[in-house]
Amino acid sequence: MSELNERPVKVQVRQLTKKFGDLLVLDNVSFDIRKGEFLCVVGPTGCGKTTFLNLLTRLIEPTSGQLLIDGEPADARRHDLAFVFQESSAFPWLTVEQNIGFGLGIKHVPAAEAKKRVDRILELMGLEAYRKAYPGQLSVSSEQRMVIGRAFAMEPDLLLMDEPYGQMDIKMRFYLEDEVIRLWQQLGTTVVFITHNIEEAVYLAERVLILTNKPASIKEEVAIDLPRPRQVSDPRFIELRRHITEQIKWW
Amino acid sequence: MKNKRPLWYYLLPLVSLVLVLVGWLYMAAAKPLLFPSPAETWQRLIKLIEVPLARVPLYQHILISLRRVLGAVTAACVLGVIFGLLVGWSRTFRATLGSIFEILRPIPPIAWIPLITVWLGIGELPKMLIIFIGTFTIVVTNTYTGVAMVDPLTLSVGRVFGASRRQLLMEFVLPAALPAIFAGIRMAIGVGWAIVLAAEMVGASAGVGFLIFRGNELRDMPLIFVCMFIIGSIGALLSAGASWLERRLCPWRP
Repeated sequence: MSELNERPVKVQVRQLTKKFGDLLVLDNVSFDIRKGEFLCVVGPTGCGKTTFLNLLTRLIEPTSGQLLIDGEPADARRHDLAFVFQESSAFPWLTVEQNIGFGLGIKHVPAAEAKKRVDRILELMGLEAYRKAYPGQLSVSSEQRMVIGRAFAMEPDLLLMDEPYGQMDIKMRFYLEDEVIRLWQQLGTTVVFITHNIEEAVYLAERVLILTNKPASIKEEVAIDLPRPRQVSDPRFIELRRHITEQIKWW
Repeated sequence: MKNKRPLWYYLLPLVSLVLVLVGWLYMAAAKPLLFPSPAETWQRLIKLIEVPLARVPLYQHILISLRRVLGAVTAACVLGVIFGLLVGWSRTFRATLGSIFEILRPIPPIAWIPLITVWLGIGELPKMLIIFIGTFTIVVTNTYTGVAMVDPLTLSVGRVFGASRRQLLMEFVLPAALPAIFAGIRMAIGVGWAIVLAAEMVGASAGVGFLIFRGNELRDMPLIFVCMFIIGSIGALLSAGASWLERRLCPWRP
Protein backbone atom coordinates (compact mmCIF):
# COMPACT_ATOMS: atom_id res chain seq x y z
CA MET A 1 0.00 0.00 0.00
CA SER A 2 1.35 3.43 -1.00
CA GLU A 3 2.36 6.10 1.51
CA LEU A 4 -0.66 7.48 3.27
CA ASN A 5 0.01 11.11 2.41
CA GLU A 6 0.31 10.40 -1.30
CA ARG A 7 -3.15 8.92 -1.59
CA PRO A 8 -6.01 11.19 -2.70
CA VAL A 9 -8.38 12.58 -0.08
CA LYS A 10 -11.64 10.62 0.03
CA VAL A 11 -13.58 12.18 2.87
CA GLN A 12 -13.36 15.75 4.15
CA VAL A 13 -14.84 16.62 7.50
CA ARG A 14 -15.13 20.39 7.87
CA GLN A 15 -15.91 22.24 11.11
CA LEU A 16 -18.42 19.58 12.10
CA THR A 17 -20.44 20.74 15.11
CA LYS A 18 -23.44 19.15 16.79
CA LYS A 19 -25.58 20.57 19.55
CA PHE A 20 -28.53 18.86 21.20
CA GLY A 21 -30.37 21.91 22.51
CA ASP A 22 -27.76 23.70 24.61
CA LEU A 23 -25.56 20.64 24.95
CA LEU A 24 -22.52 20.90 22.71
CA VAL A 25 -21.49 17.34 21.83
CA LEU A 26 -19.12 17.81 18.94
CA ASP A 27 -17.08 21.00 18.69
CA ASN A 28 -15.65 22.13 15.38
CA VAL A 29 -14.06 18.91 14.21
CA SER A 30 -12.11 18.97 10.94
CA PHE A 31 -9.97 16.27 9.37
CA ASP A 32 -9.44 14.36 6.12
CA ILE A 33 -9.62 10.67 5.43
CA ARG A 34 -7.55 9.44 2.52
CA LYS A 35 -8.71 6.86 0.01
CA GLY A 36 -8.25 3.37 1.34
CA GLU A 37 -7.14 4.61 4.75
CA PHE A 38 -7.70 2.67 7.96
CA LEU A 39 -8.44 5.33 10.56
CA CYS A 40 -9.06 4.56 14.21
CA VAL A 41 -10.82 7.00 16.49
CA VAL A 42 -10.30 6.64 20.23
CA GLY A 43 -12.14 8.57 22.87
CA PRO A 44 -13.54 8.12 26.35
CA THR A 45 -16.97 6.61 26.84
CA GLY A 46 -19.63 9.25 26.49
CA CYS A 47 -17.40 11.71 24.64
CA GLY A 48 -19.75 11.82 21.68
CA LYS A 49 -18.30 9.01 19.57
CA THR A 50 -21.68 7.67 18.63
CA THR A 51 -22.94 11.14 17.73
CA PHE A 52 -19.79 11.54 15.67
CA LEU A 53 -20.49 8.32 13.79
CA ASN A 54 -24.17 9.06 13.33
CA LEU A 55 -23.11 12.34 11.74
CA LEU A 56 -20.73 10.53 9.39
CA THR A 57 -23.47 8.09 8.33
CA ARG A 58 -25.99 10.92 8.00
CA LEU A 59 -28.33 9.30 10.50
CA ILE A 60 -28.46 12.73 12.13
CA GLU A 61 -27.85 16.19 10.66
CA PRO A 62 -24.97 18.35 11.94
CA THR A 63 -25.76 21.71 13.56
CA SER A 64 -23.08 23.20 11.35
CA GLY A 65 -20.17 22.01 9.26
CA GLN A 66 -19.93 19.65 6.35
CA LEU A 67 -19.10 16.11 5.42
CA LEU A 68 -17.82 15.72 1.87
CA ILE A 69 -17.17 12.46 0.04
CA ASP A 70 -15.14 12.95 -3.14
CA GLY A 71 -15.84 16.67 -2.77
CA GLU A 72 -19.64 16.29 -2.68
CA PRO A 73 -21.90 16.47 0.39
CA ALA A 74 -22.31 12.92 1.73
CA ASP A 75 -25.69 11.33 0.98
CA ALA A 76 -26.72 7.78 1.81
CA ARG A 77 -28.58 7.56 -1.51
CA ARG A 78 -25.71 8.67 -3.72
CA HIS A 79 -22.73 7.34 -1.84
CA ASP A 80 -22.20 3.88 -0.58
CA LEU A 81 -21.91 3.98 3.16
CA ALA A 82 -21.71 0.97 5.41
CA PHE A 83 -21.90 0.71 9.15
CA VAL A 84 -21.04 -2.09 11.53
CA PHE A 85 -22.77 -1.54 14.85
CA GLN A 86 -21.64 -2.79 18.21
CA GLU A 87 -24.72 -4.93 18.62
CA SER A 88 -25.42 -7.51 15.98
CA SER A 89 -27.48 -6.01 13.19
CA ALA A 90 -27.99 -9.15 11.14
CA PHE A 91 -31.37 -9.59 9.47
CA PRO A 92 -32.67 -12.81 11.03
CA TRP A 93 -35.13 -13.41 8.20
CA LEU A 94 -32.45 -13.63 5.52
CA THR A 95 -29.88 -16.36 4.94
CA VAL A 96 -26.18 -15.60 5.36
CA GLU A 97 -25.81 -15.18 1.62
CA GLN A 98 -28.87 -12.90 1.37
CA ASN A 99 -27.65 -10.85 4.34
CA ILE A 100 -24.29 -10.24 2.70
CA GLY A 101 -25.91 -9.31 -0.60
CA PHE A 102 -28.65 -7.20 0.94
CA GLY A 103 -27.11 -3.74 0.56
CA LEU A 104 -26.24 -4.56 -3.04
CA GLY A 105 -29.91 -5.20 -3.74
CA ILE A 106 -30.91 -1.86 -2.20
CA LYS A 107 -28.32 -0.15 -4.40
CA HIS A 108 -29.49 -2.02 -7.52
CA VAL A 109 -26.10 -3.58 -8.20
CA PRO A 110 -26.56 -5.96 -11.20
CA ALA A 111 -27.26 -9.53 -10.10
CA ALA A 112 -24.15 -11.05 -11.68
CA GLU A 113 -21.86 -8.51 -10.03
CA ALA A 114 -23.67 -8.89 -6.70
CA LYS A 115 -23.26 -12.66 -6.81
CA LYS A 116 -19.56 -12.32 -7.57
CA ARG A 117 -19.03 -10.00 -4.61
CA VAL A 118 -21.07 -12.14 -2.23
CA ASP A 119 -19.15 -15.26 -3.27
CA ARG A 120 -15.85 -13.47 -2.72
CA ILE A 121 -16.85 -12.29 0.75
CA LEU A 122 -18.13 -15.76 1.68
CA GLU A 123 -14.82 -17.20 0.57
CA LEU A 124 -12.71 -14.55 2.32
CA MET A 125 -14.60 -15.08 5.56
CA GLY A 126 -14.78 -18.85 5.30
CA LEU A 127 -18.56 -18.75 5.53
CA GLU A 128 -19.26 -20.75 2.35
CA ALA A 129 -20.57 -23.73 4.27
CA TYR A 130 -23.14 -21.48 5.97
CA ARG A 131 -24.35 -19.79 2.79
CA LYS A 132 -27.93 -21.04 3.21
CA ALA A 133 -28.01 -20.90 7.01
CA TYR A 134 -29.94 -18.28 8.96
CA PRO A 135 -28.10 -15.94 11.36
CA GLY A 136 -29.88 -17.55 14.29
CA GLN A 137 -28.04 -20.77 13.49
CA LEU A 138 -24.60 -19.13 13.69
CA SER A 139 -22.45 -18.40 16.71
CA VAL A 140 -22.38 -14.78 17.91
CA SER A 141 -18.91 -14.21 16.47
CA SER A 142 -19.80 -15.76 13.10
CA GLU A 143 -22.85 -13.56 12.99
CA GLN A 144 -20.76 -10.45 13.58
CA ARG A 145 -18.29 -11.61 10.91
CA MET A 146 -21.20 -11.95 8.54
CA VAL A 147 -22.30 -8.39 9.36
CA ILE A 148 -18.74 -7.17 8.73
CA GLY A 149 -18.74 -9.09 5.45
CA ARG A 150 -22.04 -7.46 4.53
CA ALA A 151 -20.46 -4.03 5.07
CA PHE A 152 -17.38 -4.86 2.99
CA ALA A 153 -19.49 -6.36 0.19
CA MET A 154 -20.90 -2.90 -0.47
CA GLU A 155 -17.36 -1.82 -1.46
CA PRO A 156 -18.41 1.33 0.36
CA ASP A 157 -16.97 4.78 -0.10
CA LEU A 158 -16.76 4.86 3.65
CA LEU A 159 -17.06 2.00 6.12
CA LEU A 160 -17.76 2.94 9.72
CA MET A 161 -17.29 0.49 12.54
CA ASP A 162 -18.50 1.34 16.03
CA GLU A 163 -16.65 -0.84 18.54
CA PRO A 164 -17.63 -3.90 16.54
CA TYR A 165 -15.71 -6.20 18.85
CA GLY A 166 -16.91 -4.65 22.09
CA GLN A 167 -18.84 -7.78 22.99
CA MET A 168 -16.16 -10.31 22.04
CA ASP A 169 -13.71 -12.13 24.26
CA ILE A 170 -10.03 -11.41 23.73
CA LYS A 171 -9.29 -14.43 21.56
CA MET A 172 -12.18 -13.75 19.21
CA ARG A 173 -11.11 -10.13 19.16
CA PHE A 174 -7.58 -10.91 17.96
CA TYR A 175 -8.97 -13.22 15.34
CA LEU A 176 -11.52 -10.71 14.05
CA GLU A 177 -8.98 -7.87 14.07
CA ASP A 178 -6.81 -9.89 11.68
CA GLU A 179 -9.89 -10.71 9.66
CA VAL A 180 -10.86 -7.06 9.21
CA ILE A 181 -7.29 -6.15 8.25
CA ARG A 182 -7.27 -8.91 5.65
CA LEU A 183 -10.55 -7.73 4.13
CA TRP A 184 -9.33 -4.16 4.14
CA GLN A 185 -6.04 -5.07 2.44
CA GLN A 186 -7.80 -7.20 -0.18
CA LEU A 187 -10.56 -4.72 -1.00
CA GLY A 188 -8.93 -1.33 -0.34
CA THR A 189 -11.95 0.03 1.54
CA THR A 190 -11.77 3.33 3.45
CA VAL A 191 -12.46 2.47 7.09
CA VAL A 192 -13.20 4.54 10.18
CA PHE A 193 -13.01 2.30 13.22
CA ILE A 194 -14.13 3.54 16.63
CA THR A 195 -12.79 1.90 19.75
CA HIS A 196 -11.80 2.70 23.28
CA ASN A 197 -9.23 -0.07 23.28
CA ILE A 198 -5.88 1.64 22.63
CA GLU A 199 -4.05 -1.56 21.82
CA GLU A 200 -6.69 -2.40 19.25
CA ALA A 201 -6.31 1.04 17.69
CA VAL A 202 -2.52 0.78 17.43
CA TYR A 203 -2.81 -2.75 16.07
CA LEU A 204 -5.26 -1.82 13.31
CA ALA A 205 -4.80 1.78 12.30
CA GLU A 206 -2.70 3.65 9.82
CA ARG A 207 -3.60 6.75 11.76
CA VAL A 208 -5.24 7.25 15.16
CA LEU A 209 -7.46 10.21 15.95
CA ILE A 210 -7.66 10.99 19.66
CA LEU A 211 -10.84 12.74 20.73
CA THR A 212 -11.12 14.90 23.85
CA ASN A 213 -13.80 14.58 26.47
CA LYS A 214 -17.20 16.15 25.77
CA PRO A 215 -17.59 18.38 23.84
CA ALA A 216 -15.47 16.23 21.58
CA SER A 217 -12.79 17.78 19.44
CA ILE A 218 -9.58 16.34 18.03
CA LYS A 219 -6.75 16.29 20.51
CA GLU A 220 -4.10 14.72 18.35
CA GLU A 221 -3.52 12.68 15.23
CA VAL A 222 -0.98 9.89 15.53
CA ALA A 223 0.39 8.15 12.45
CA ILE A 224 1.08 4.47 13.00
CA ASP A 225 3.70 3.38 10.46
CA LEU A 226 4.48 -0.04 11.87
CA PRO A 227 4.85 -2.89 9.37
CA ARG A 228 2.18 -5.61 9.28
CA PRO A 229 1.53 -8.07 10.74
CA ARG A 230 2.12 -6.04 13.86
CA GLN A 231 3.54 -7.42 17.06
CA VAL A 232 2.05 -6.12 20.27
CA SER A 233 5.40 -6.74 21.99
CA ASP A 234 7.40 -4.68 19.45
CA PRO A 235 9.10 -1.80 21.39
CA ARG A 236 7.78 0.76 18.89
CA PHE A 237 4.26 -0.65 19.26
CA ILE A 238 4.57 -0.25 23.00
CA GLU A 239 5.97 3.27 22.60
CA LEU A 240 3.01 4.33 20.42
CA ARG A 241 0.52 2.74 22.76
CA ARG A 242 2.13 4.52 25.71
CA HIS A 243 2.06 7.84 23.88
CA ILE A 244 -1.66 7.55 23.11
CA THR A 245 -2.36 6.47 26.66
CA GLU A 246 -0.46 9.55 27.90
CA GLN A 247 -2.63 11.78 25.75
CA ILE A 248 -5.70 10.09 27.04
CA LYS A 249 -4.75 10.62 30.65
CA TRP A 250 -5.66 14.26 30.13
CA TRP A 251 -9.26 13.33 29.49
CA MET B 1 -26.46 -36.21 24.82
CA LYS B 2 -28.99 -38.91 25.42
CA ASN B 3 -32.54 -37.93 24.74
CA LYS B 4 -34.25 -40.88 26.32
CA ARG B 5 -37.07 -40.17 28.70
CA PRO B 6 -38.48 -42.79 31.00
CA LEU B 7 -41.22 -44.92 29.49
CA TRP B 8 -43.54 -43.47 32.10
CA TYR B 9 -43.78 -40.18 30.19
CA TYR B 10 -45.02 -41.96 27.09
CA LEU B 11 -47.62 -43.87 29.08
CA LEU B 12 -48.97 -40.92 31.08
CA PRO B 13 -50.93 -39.29 28.23
CA LEU B 14 -52.47 -42.65 27.42
CA VAL B 15 -53.41 -43.17 31.06
CA SER B 16 -55.05 -39.72 31.20
CA LEU B 17 -57.05 -40.52 28.10
CA VAL B 18 -58.26 -43.80 29.55
CA LEU B 19 -59.28 -41.99 32.74
CA VAL B 20 -61.37 -39.51 30.75
CA LEU B 21 -63.05 -42.38 28.92
CA VAL B 22 -63.78 -44.17 32.18
CA GLY B 23 -65.23 -40.97 33.63
CA TRP B 24 -67.38 -40.55 30.53
CA LEU B 25 -68.71 -44.13 30.77
CA TYR B 26 -69.46 -43.60 34.45
CA MET B 27 -71.36 -40.35 33.83
CA ALA B 28 -73.28 -41.94 30.95
CA ALA B 29 -74.31 -44.81 33.20
CA ALA B 30 -75.36 -42.44 36.01
CA LYS B 31 -77.27 -39.86 33.95
CA PRO B 32 -78.09 -41.46 30.59
CA LEU B 33 -80.44 -38.65 29.54
CA LEU B 34 -77.96 -35.83 30.10
CA PHE B 35 -74.79 -37.65 29.18
CA PRO B 36 -74.85 -39.91 26.09
CA SER B 37 -72.41 -42.80 26.12
CA PRO B 38 -69.46 -43.09 23.70
CA ALA B 39 -71.36 -45.76 21.79
CA GLU B 40 -74.45 -43.57 21.43
CA THR B 41 -72.30 -40.65 20.29
CA TRP B 42 -70.59 -42.83 17.70
CA GLN B 43 -73.92 -44.11 16.40
CA ARG B 44 -75.24 -40.56 16.17
CA LEU B 45 -72.18 -39.62 14.11
CA ILE B 46 -72.78 -42.53 11.71
CA LYS B 47 -76.42 -41.56 11.44
CA LEU B 48 -75.51 -37.94 10.82
CA ILE B 49 -73.22 -39.01 7.98
CA GLU B 50 -75.87 -41.28 6.49
CA VAL B 51 -78.97 -39.10 6.97
CA PRO B 52 -78.60 -35.41 6.08
CA LEU B 53 -79.92 -33.01 8.71
CA ALA B 54 -82.00 -30.11 7.38
CA ARG B 55 -81.48 -31.65 3.93
CA VAL B 56 -77.76 -30.85 4.05
CA PRO B 57 -75.19 -33.65 4.32
CA LEU B 58 -72.66 -33.42 7.16
CA TYR B 59 -69.67 -32.61 4.98
CA GLN B 60 -71.67 -29.72 3.49
CA HIS B 61 -72.37 -28.31 6.94
CA ILE B 62 -68.64 -28.41 7.65
CA LEU B 63 -67.67 -26.93 4.30
CA ILE B 64 -70.18 -24.12 4.62
CA SER B 65 -68.81 -23.13 8.03
CA LEU B 66 -65.22 -23.43 6.82
CA ARG B 67 -65.96 -21.28 3.80
CA ARG B 68 -67.41 -18.56 6.01
CA VAL B 69 -64.44 -18.60 8.36
CA LEU B 70 -61.72 -18.85 5.75
CA GLY B 71 -63.31 -16.22 3.53
CA ALA B 72 -63.71 -13.76 6.35
CA VAL B 73 -60.31 -14.48 7.95
CA THR B 74 -58.51 -14.19 4.61
CA ALA B 75 -60.08 -10.79 4.04
CA ALA B 76 -59.29 -9.80 7.64
CA CYS B 77 -55.65 -10.87 7.22
CA VAL B 78 -55.05 -9.05 3.94
CA LEU B 79 -56.77 -5.85 5.02
CA GLY B 80 -55.64 -6.12 8.64
CA VAL B 81 -51.94 -6.46 7.78
CA ILE B 82 -52.13 -3.51 5.38
CA PHE B 83 -54.04 -1.42 7.92
CA GLY B 84 -51.72 -2.41 10.78
CA LEU B 85 -48.60 -1.60 8.76
CA LEU B 86 -49.96 1.81 7.78
CA VAL B 87 -51.04 2.67 11.31
CA GLY B 88 -47.73 1.45 12.73
CA TRP B 89 -45.63 3.17 10.10
CA SER B 90 -47.34 6.48 9.39
CA ARG B 91 -48.07 9.03 12.04
CA THR B 92 -50.87 10.51 9.94
CA PHE B 93 -52.63 7.15 9.66
CA ARG B 94 -52.19 6.51 13.35
CA ALA B 95 -53.76 9.85 14.24
CA THR B 96 -56.75 9.45 11.91
CA LEU B 97 -57.76 5.86 11.10
CA GLY B 98 -55.86 4.60 14.13
CA SER B 99 -57.99 6.51 16.59
CA ILE B 100 -61.24 5.45 14.93
CA PHE B 101 -60.03 1.86 15.17
CA GLU B 102 -59.20 2.29 18.86
CA ILE B 103 -62.77 3.45 19.53
CA LEU B 104 -64.41 0.51 17.71
CA ARG B 105 -61.95 -2.17 18.82
CA PRO B 106 -63.33 -2.86 22.32
CA ILE B 107 -66.79 -3.76 20.96
CA PRO B 108 -66.90 -7.58 20.84
CA PRO B 109 -67.93 -8.98 17.44
CA ILE B 110 -70.93 -10.74 18.95
CA ALA B 111 -72.34 -7.35 19.98
CA TRP B 112 -72.54 -6.45 16.29
CA ILE B 113 -74.87 -9.35 15.48
CA PRO B 114 -78.22 -7.58 16.11
CA LEU B 115 -77.20 -4.47 14.22
CA ILE B 116 -75.79 -6.35 11.27
CA THR B 117 -78.81 -8.65 11.14
CA VAL B 118 -81.15 -5.67 10.99
CA TRP B 119 -79.05 -3.92 8.39
CA LEU B 120 -77.98 -6.78 6.18
CA GLY B 121 -80.30 -9.67 6.96
CA ILE B 122 -79.24 -13.28 7.49
CA GLY B 123 -77.38 -14.13 4.28
CA GLU B 124 -73.74 -15.14 3.87
CA LEU B 125 -72.34 -11.61 3.84
CA PRO B 126 -73.56 -10.54 7.30
CA LYS B 127 -72.19 -13.76 8.87
CA MET B 128 -68.82 -13.24 7.24
CA LEU B 129 -68.86 -9.60 8.25
CA ILE B 130 -69.27 -10.53 11.91
CA ILE B 131 -66.31 -12.92 11.68
CA PHE B 132 -64.37 -10.26 9.81
CA ILE B 133 -64.96 -7.68 12.54
CA GLY B 134 -63.74 -10.05 15.23
CA THR B 135 -60.60 -11.19 13.39
CA PHE B 136 -59.62 -7.94 11.70
CA THR B 137 -59.04 -6.25 15.07
CA ILE B 138 -56.74 -9.09 16.16
CA VAL B 139 -54.66 -8.96 12.99
CA VAL B 140 -54.41 -5.17 13.11
CA THR B 141 -53.38 -5.09 16.78
CA ASN B 142 -50.69 -7.71 16.30
CA THR B 143 -49.34 -6.17 13.11
CA TYR B 144 -49.23 -2.75 14.72
CA THR B 145 -47.42 -4.12 17.77
CA GLY B 146 -44.97 -5.96 15.51
CA VAL B 147 -44.17 -2.76 13.64
CA ALA B 148 -43.83 -0.76 16.84
CA MET B 149 -41.37 -3.30 18.24
CA VAL B 150 -39.02 -3.35 15.26
CA ASP B 151 -35.49 -2.80 16.56
CA PRO B 152 -34.46 0.83 15.80
CA LEU B 153 -31.05 -0.59 14.90
CA THR B 154 -32.63 -2.45 11.99
CA LEU B 155 -34.00 0.84 10.68
CA SER B 156 -30.62 2.54 11.15
CA VAL B 157 -28.95 -0.20 9.10
CA GLY B 158 -31.54 0.37 6.39
CA ARG B 159 -31.01 4.12 6.38
CA VAL B 160 -27.24 3.80 6.18
CA PHE B 161 -27.71 1.47 3.21
CA GLY B 162 -29.64 4.32 1.61
CA ALA B 163 -33.03 2.59 1.61
CA SER B 164 -36.05 4.69 0.65
CA ARG B 165 -39.02 4.92 3.04
CA ARG B 166 -40.92 2.39 0.97
CA GLN B 167 -37.92 0.03 1.01
CA LEU B 168 -37.59 0.48 4.77
CA LEU B 169 -41.22 -0.57 5.18
CA MET B 170 -41.20 -3.51 2.77
CA GLU B 171 -37.66 -4.85 3.23
CA PHE B 172 -37.05 -4.20 6.91
CA VAL B 173 -40.21 -3.46 8.88
CA LEU B 174 -42.45 -6.09 7.27
CA PRO B 175 -40.12 -9.08 7.69
CA ALA B 176 -39.10 -7.94 11.18
CA ALA B 177 -42.78 -7.75 12.15
CA LEU B 178 -43.74 -11.02 10.42
CA PRO B 179 -43.51 -13.27 13.51
CA ALA B 180 -45.88 -10.94 15.40
CA ILE B 181 -48.17 -10.74 12.38
CA PHE B 182 -48.33 -14.52 12.25
CA ALA B 183 -49.13 -14.80 15.91
CA GLY B 184 -52.09 -12.57 15.10
CA ILE B 185 -53.16 -14.63 12.08
CA ARG B 186 -53.00 -17.84 14.10
CA MET B 187 -55.12 -16.28 16.80
CA ALA B 188 -57.54 -14.89 14.21
CA ILE B 189 -58.14 -18.35 12.73
CA GLY B 190 -58.98 -19.72 16.17
CA VAL B 191 -61.22 -16.81 17.08
CA GLY B 192 -62.85 -16.87 13.61
CA TRP B 193 -63.80 -20.51 14.16
CA ALA B 194 -65.37 -19.53 17.48
CA ILE B 195 -67.32 -16.59 16.08
CA VAL B 196 -68.77 -18.59 13.19
CA LEU B 197 -70.67 -20.70 15.70
CA ALA B 198 -72.25 -17.64 17.24
CA ALA B 199 -73.03 -16.17 13.83
CA GLU B 200 -74.65 -19.43 12.70
CA MET B 201 -76.80 -19.72 15.77
CA VAL B 202 -78.72 -16.70 14.54
CA GLY B 203 -80.71 -17.42 11.43
CA ALA B 204 -78.67 -20.00 9.59
CA SER B 205 -79.91 -23.08 7.75
CA ALA B 206 -76.57 -24.86 7.50
CA GLY B 207 -73.16 -25.00 9.17
CA VAL B 208 -71.78 -26.64 12.30
CA GLY B 209 -73.05 -23.78 14.47
CA PHE B 210 -76.52 -24.42 13.07
CA LEU B 211 -76.12 -28.15 13.77
CA ILE B 212 -75.21 -27.75 17.41
CA PHE B 213 -77.97 -25.18 17.83
CA ARG B 214 -80.43 -27.63 16.28
CA GLY B 215 -79.17 -30.31 18.67
CA ASN B 216 -79.97 -27.96 21.51
CA GLU B 217 -83.49 -27.23 20.20
CA LEU B 218 -84.24 -30.93 19.76
CA ARG B 219 -82.59 -31.84 23.08
CA ASP B 220 -80.58 -34.32 20.99
CA MET B 221 -77.66 -34.76 23.39
CA PRO B 222 -75.71 -37.22 21.21
CA LEU B 223 -75.90 -34.70 18.34
CA ILE B 224 -74.52 -31.95 20.60
CA PHE B 225 -71.65 -34.22 21.56
CA VAL B 226 -70.92 -35.12 17.94
CA CYS B 227 -70.93 -31.45 16.98
CA MET B 228 -68.55 -30.56 19.81
CA PHE B 229 -66.12 -33.22 18.66
CA ILE B 230 -66.33 -32.08 15.05
CA ILE B 231 -65.89 -28.43 16.01
CA GLY B 232 -62.91 -29.28 18.20
CA SER B 233 -61.26 -31.45 15.56
CA ILE B 234 -61.62 -28.84 12.87
CA GLY B 235 -60.30 -26.17 15.24
CA ALA B 236 -57.23 -28.33 15.84
CA LEU B 237 -56.76 -28.90 12.10
CA LEU B 238 -57.02 -25.16 11.41
CA SER B 239 -54.45 -24.43 14.08
CA ALA B 240 -52.09 -27.04 12.62
CA GLY B 241 -52.60 -25.54 9.18
CA ALA B 242 -51.71 -22.08 10.49
CA SER B 243 -48.52 -23.42 12.09
CA TRP B 244 -47.58 -25.10 8.83
CA LEU B 245 -48.12 -21.86 6.94
CA GLU B 246 -46.02 -19.98 9.46
CA ARG B 247 -43.13 -22.42 9.11
CA ARG B 248 -43.29 -22.02 5.35
CA LEU B 249 -43.33 -18.23 5.44
CA CYS B 250 -40.95 -17.67 8.37
CA PRO B 251 -38.35 -20.40 7.82
CA TRP B 252 -35.77 -18.59 9.96
CA ARG B 253 -37.84 -19.12 13.09
CA PRO B 254 -36.44 -21.98 15.16
